[in-house]
Amino acid sequence: MQSNAQLEYDYSVVKLFTFTTILFGIIGMLVGVILAFQLAFPELSNLAGEYGTFSRLRPIHTNGVAFGFTLSGIFATWYYVGQRVLKMSLKESKFLMTVAKLHFWLYFITIPLAVVTLIMGITTSKEYAELEWPLDLLIVVWWVLWGVSMFGMIGMRRERTIYVSVWYYMSSFLAVAMLFLFNNMEVPTMFWANGAPSSAMHSISMYAGTNDALVQWWYGHNAVAFVFTTPIIAMIYYFLPKESGQNVFSYKLSVLAFWGLMFVYLWAGGHHLIYSTVPDWMQTMGSAMSVVLILPSWGSAINMLLTMKGEWGQLQTSPLIKFMIMASTFYMLSTIEGPIQAIKSVNAIAHFTDWIPGHVHDGTLGWVGFMVMAALFHMAPRIFKRELYSKSLMETQFWLQTVGIVLYFTSMWIAGITQGMMWRAYDEYGSLLYSFIDTVTVLHPYYTLRAVGGLFYLIGFLLFAYNIFKTMTSGRVLDKEPANASPMAS
Amino acid sequence: MFHWLEQRPFFFAVMLFLTVAFAGFIEIVPDFAKASQPTVGTKPFTVLELAGKQVYIKDSCNACHSQLIRPFKSETDRYGMYSLSGEYAYDRPFVWGSKRTGPDLHRVGNYRTTDWHENHMMNPSAVVPGSIMPKYPHMFTNNADVATAYANANTQKSLFGVPYDKEGMPALGSWEDAKAQALEDAKKVAADMKNQSVKDAVANGQVPEIVALIAYLNSLK
Amino acid sequence: MDQETLMTMAGYGKFFILLFIFIIFYGYAFSLYKRQRSGERDFEKYSDLVLNDSLDAAPLEKRDNSKEK
Repeated sequence: MQSNAQLEYDYSVVKLFTFTTILFGIIGMLVGVILAFQLAFPELSNLAGEYGTFSRLRPIHTNGVAFGFTLSGIFATWYYVGQRVLKMSLKESKFLMTVAKLHFWLYFITIPLAVVTLIMGITTSKEYAELEWPLDLLIVVWWVLWGVSMFGMIGMRRERTIYVSVWYYMSSFLAVAMLFLFNNMEVPTMFWANGAPSSAMHSISMYAGTNDALVQWWYGHNAVAFVFTTPIIAMIYYFLPKESGQNVFSYKLSVLAFWGLMFVYLWAGGHHLIYSTVPDWMQTMGSAMSVVLILPSWGSAINMLLTMKGEWGQLQTSPLIKFMIMASTFYMLSTIEGPIQAIKSVNAIAHFTDWIPGHVHDGTLGWVGFMVMAALFHMAPRIFKRELYSKSLMETQFWLQTVGIVLYFTSMWIAGITQGMMWRAYDEYGSLLYSFIDTVTVLHPYYTLRAVGGLFYLIGFLLFAYNIFKTMTSGRVLDKEPANASPMAS
Repeated sequence: MFHWLEQRPFFFAVMLFLTVAFAGFIEIVPDFAKASQPTVGTKPFTVLELAGKQVYIKDSCNACHSQLIRPFKSETDRYGMYSLSGEYAYDRPFVWGSKRTGPDLHRVGNYRTTDWHENHMMNPSAVVPGSIMPKYPHMFTNNADVATAYANANTQKSLFGVPYDKEGMPALGSWEDAKAQALEDAKKVAADMKNQSVKDAVANGQVPEIVALIAYLNSLK
Repeated sequence: MDQETLMTMAGYGKFFILLFIFIIFYGYAFSLYKRQRSGERDFEKYSDLVLNDSLDAAPLEKRDNSKEK
């Protein structure tokens, strides 16, 4: 212990990932807003010819926010939280430092490559796994590097017991590795071209039809689980207690919720395929397990809310706490909404409608976005050793974005249910009441409202980026690391 | 167990992996073989149709259109017979989609014509007033990648045993045969089209994307 | 054995697996709370791992190097 008196945590990799979180966040969300406006005003789809259509841009939005913004945030917080709760510094190991740097740079070149290939229309069409095989191989490399750094850091720890946040990060690493490998089993077709001048980038899935759908949604659902849920829980289990200076309400509950979530989550993938051609028992299982999933999800969320027990005053004084409490509230909302949509009879109406993107966005904007931003706000004074630039800007951002999310999901609820009901409406003679296009034109006001909500969120994110930038460049320099509440200038 | 396990990252990770992998094992494995049996009459795509499916994927049509008709009266009235597992036996990758911003297309070949698609892809809202679908004029000038479609089909044939070149099934043969066949099929589609530059291109031995896409859409029945 | 009997057996199999897991999980939960109450082990102290995480702070439980590889 005496030997590490001069030793410090190393934040160089944390900083790099913080920058990419903001950069990819801006790009991904901007594309999202453009898409939302394209649905409301379709002429916007044809401004950039082939490269600006809704259909080409959509994978860039989904991949950009999931694997650009969120993954960057996960990696940034991992290198921060990991070092701290394990009580080890990356400075202690040249090897791990190199691995971490390499992890960053390989990741960093993957994202622009992904954007370019997707905009050119090079895609496998499987949602959230659109990237073609050469990029998939690149992803495997840096994913493995992340694992090496993770287990390397754990191996070097001073603290005997591994904190629950690290469990969640480990689960993300392992589960995504498994899911990604199985879902991206693809065969490059150029090896069977038989002399035809075929494209080197093209591949086809190893599975066909119903099997492919099954594997895809087993992946698709759980990519959400292990990118948008478990690492974000890892963040809140560290940042909320740390920022508020409170002990976790119940550590035992956090352990139980962990194992519960790990076991149940994977089963729920079947709810994407209700009333499809996959076997009936699998649909029922997916539906039932989705409902069971409420328990561990709410276990974590309630644990976080109760951590603030007796300290609710902090909610008034600190916008940072506000972000985190709002995040766990949105987590509760989307983890009750999901199971409702997974009930067979509700799914019959909700599936294929805008209620689904509505649900995804309560989770991603409210839970993931807020938590990642809160984590970055908490880390900024520590990694840049400066006071946060503006508290009032944080307040403005908070309300702007909250209003944005509310506009988003309320409009999508109404749009989804309206459309779902119209599709199945019959007149008195037993013929369908509406043609398909009637059910599209009716959505125009909701699409507009949604786009405005998204725009609010994007503006809020730009405020966030500006706030972090000013913190970095002109915040008051701190002489020592703040213990709990992050210092912020009014 | 808590105490022992969480101080041993390796065993912890193994335990974690087993917990997570358990569901996938039980859910996915048992039905794999059964679901891949084709229904009677299901045929693999021809090379031209595959080239069209590649266009469908390239422009992410599946972002807004499903290809899965659920077993409800309101859906079968609108789109036709509900989808069967075996119909997708040669669909690699599956393109069910997850969102119907536009209507389902699983049986679009039953109720739309070449002519309709041609006008619609050029300017959707001229055919369906109020449509929010983008225009796809670039499909009339870009050429479809028939070579990759051939490689695609040949991979399916050699690696996955898809019955090309069998009796009553589409012929594949060598690249030259397949190319000639695809061009012939393209000519049949182009014969029903009005766009002169597309007709000229096909006459000159090219296959514009729109021709391949229409061949694919017409095959969806 | 036809498909029907196989599916039935698989159904029972799954039910018992789930029952087994249910028992393990709740047994584990019960044991956590029992050990905490009897004072055998304090689980709640682990949340101090977060509050006390500077590099020069004393580890909550020092790592016994002889046991680890």
